[in-house]
Amino acid sequence: MSARYAFILAGGLGTRLCLLSERRAKPAVPFGGKYRIIDFTLSNCVNSGIYDVGVLTQYRPTSLRQHIGIGRPWDLDRTRGGVQLLQPSLDSVESDWYQGTADAIYRNLIHLRRRMTDHVLVLSGDHVYKMDYNVLYAFHEANRASVTVAVTEVPADAVSAFGILETDRTGRVVGFQEKPRLARSRLASMGVYLFDRRSLIQWLVEDAAMKDSAHDFGKNLLPRLVARGEAVYAHHFRDYWQDVGALDSYYQTNMDLISDRPPLDLNDPGWLVHTQSADRPPVRFETGGVAERSLIANGCRIAGTVTRSILFPGVTVAPGAVVSDSIVMNDTQIMRDAQLDRAILDKEVVIGGGARVGWGEAMTPNEACPEHLSNGLLVVGKGTRLPEGLTVGRNARIGAFVAEDAFAGDVPAGGVVRGPEAEH
Amino acid sequence: MRDVMALVLAGGSGERLSVLATERAVSAVPFGGKYRIIDFALSNCCHSGVHRLGVLTQHAPTSLHDHISSGRVWDLDGRETGVVILQPFLTRDQAGWYQGTADAIAQNWDVIEESRAVRVLVLSGDHVYKMDYRALLEVHGRLEASVTMAVLPVTADQSRRFGMVTVDAYGRATRFEEKPAHTDARLASMGVYVFETDLLREALRGRPRDLALHVLRPMVEAGERVQTWEYNGYWEDVGEIATYHRANLDLLKPDPRLMLHDARWPILTRDEERPPVLLLPGADVQDSLVANGCRIAGRVRNSVLFAGAIVQAGAEVVDSVVMHDVVVGRSARVHRAILDKFAHVGEAAALGSGDRSSDPALAWLDGLSLVGKDAVIPAGVVVGPQVVVGVGATAADFAGGALAPGTRIADRVATQDLV
Repeated sequence: MSARYAFILAGGLGTRLCLLSERRAKPAVPFGGKYRIIDFTLSNCVNSGIYDVGVLTQYRPTSLRQHIGIGRPWDLDRTRGGVQLLQPSLDSVESDWYQGTADAIYRNLIHLRRRMTDHVLVLSGDHVYKMDYNVLYAFHEANRASVTVAVTEVPADAVSAFGILETDRTGRVVGFQEKPRLARSRLASMGVYLFDRRSLIQWLVEDAAMKDSAHDFGKNLLPRLVARGEAVYAHHFRDYWQDVGALDSYYQTNMDLISDRPPLDLNDPGWLVHTQSADRPPVRFETGGVAERSLIANGCRIAGTVTRSILFPGVTVAPGAVVSDSIVMNDTQIMRDAQLDRAILDKEVVIGGGARVGWGEAMTPNEACPEHLSNGLLVVGKGTRLPEGLTVGRNARIGAFVAEDAFAGDVPAGGVVRGPEAEH
Repeated sequence: MRDVMALVLAGGSGERLSVLATERAVSAVPFGGKYRIIDFALSNCCHSGVHRLGVLTQHAPTSLHDHISSGRVWDLDGRETGVVILQPFLTRDQAGWYQGTADAIAQNWDVIEESRAVRVLVLSGDHVYKMDYRALLEVHGRLEASVTMAVLPVTADQSRRFGMVTVDAYGRATRFEEKPAHTDARLASMGVYVFETDLLREALRGRPRDLALHVLRPMVEAGERVQTWEYNGYWEDVGEIATYHRANLDLLKPDPRLMLHDARWPILTRDEERPPVLLLPGADVQDSLVANGCRIAGRVRNSVLFAGAIVQAGAEVVDSVVMHDVVVGRSARVHRAILDKFAHVGEAAALGSGDRSSDPALAWLDGLSLVGKDAVIPAGVVVGPQVVVGVGATAADFAGGALAPGTRIADRVATQDLV
């Protein structure tokens, strides 16, 4: 096996994840009770034998940088190769923020200079899936492709959210539409591209010179390559794959982990999802604690009731508290007799005693971001403290670091409470 | 703490831990849902700023080596500091095997000299406690003692388990008795000592075997400045089945004296890379510690479950310690038992069921049943209390069906698995 190199695009703004990615890059958003979204892609790399990875960051990289560190959990702290975080920099020729996905790679071509690789793998850092990239390499070589795009089948009503590929019987791509309203195919690009190194460099240089290009793989480069008949192939990936870039899909993908037949096995010893681990003791179930259909991570203390929920390390659920259908991140405290329903709480939130969060029948969409918060979910930002006895309606959005005395009163359905920091 | 070297005595064969220590040193026995016993001593060192460490091993050290590895978990992988594992070795004039704790230290004396440590902190790898050794070292330095030993008040009936120390009004040791049946002394040695290196070097010249009996006791008798430092926190020697089981279950009390959920003094251990605990429909867990990777569909009460343990629907686990990747099958019942890694309790089997025998020869089991690593208890079998199922036992070992109290199934020889 020749040397392999992968770029992971991890710079996106992630506005559709609302508060969760306001203060961190989307791939750094916590997922599944102990992971970050990017863990899946990083683990796929090392489990596929790829130990040389560049992570392209741009938006708020602090959280991601802390998480990846020198890459130890993934065995990416290596003498040769390893993981490198590639933040935009000021260089002698052109210097700017990354304009699009293709531009981000173009500005990092220097990293290919000393790497003797025949191919370059380009991945996205915000998808949840387990994939052996070796299969992609084999497919690519068997077809003598210039670029292979991994595709997954999506429902007909979802095509408008993806780049849709049309293929002939051999898997060769004959049509490419970016986020079409109607499409002839249901094969969506997974944002996983395997390029011939030489072709990629040539195409990126060419694209960079085009004034009318947004320098994006999906919008510009791939449609252009297909249109002029390059050897673009689609590899059909048939396992579980989820784009968790929007609040609803993020919530649903988390909940999939506790469904009766989880589509993604986190216990598979042959394909571990590696992550940075905290030094936490085992989960402590106290007298009166009840937990069913839930994932609960080390360091949690459960004295109340938890159903159909995902609890990250260090969450405490006090006696009489009830947590249902919720996602609760690290070290959040649910005080006595508080109730939580269909809520996503970021880290270090405190829900005061007797508070009712996700309460009532009213489903008024959120007044600030109705497009993301209209199905009944509510979001509370990091470090916020909800006062005792407060009632928060559905579809509400409460910012980060809101102090108890900053609440004027109950928060109605669809209500917004802004934190001291800027929000989108 | 640059002038201190810690030596962790981890060589014990642990006969009293029976099948739990067949294939591992006592200090490598799993504890508290995700730890090994030695994690307490190693974490104490890490948090106390003691960064030079030797771990003296002899009996079945593989598991301990795997666990400690480079010492990174405890930040014990420094360029010049860190942990070394000191296994017995041969020289041209020395037979190798450690004859006792003092002998083990003497055989590795060059490592201590090389560290240029002025003081040697001797610890045991078999104890569960949190201690800031800086307090002990501070007392030792301030009183200009030759030796300072940590002691703990115990009740009269406990004296036969410990080295008992009598002290004067200034806390100086005046008498040392090894495991006396009766004594007026109420302070037990915790096996935690600070020695002046120069003094220890001299004391080891006569090649004593045991540190407490042949080094410490003669020092006390000779009127050396042997100081005591009283410790009042939680401490348990978990080298016996009853105390091991009790110390695990102590963690489950409403306000445990040893708090694992303590961000200021976390117990550090190797990460298992497991997903969070999965609570399935029908799960009913109370008063228990359950580690990542467990999948629970049954009832769990007052028990400690290690990473990856599975309790299937209708099964019940009560007052038990269940180690990594154990499977408790559908409708099985496990009461007052300790199950080692990968043990498998078949569907509807019952473990720890029925009346206890009052045979004094079984007193060491404290009414518990033990199941060795990889052992399989076939479906439907009833296993009484005080039964010891050996490492790797198979269905064939249960040909008779039920096992009465006091039954012992022998360990399978490990090499059988290799062929």
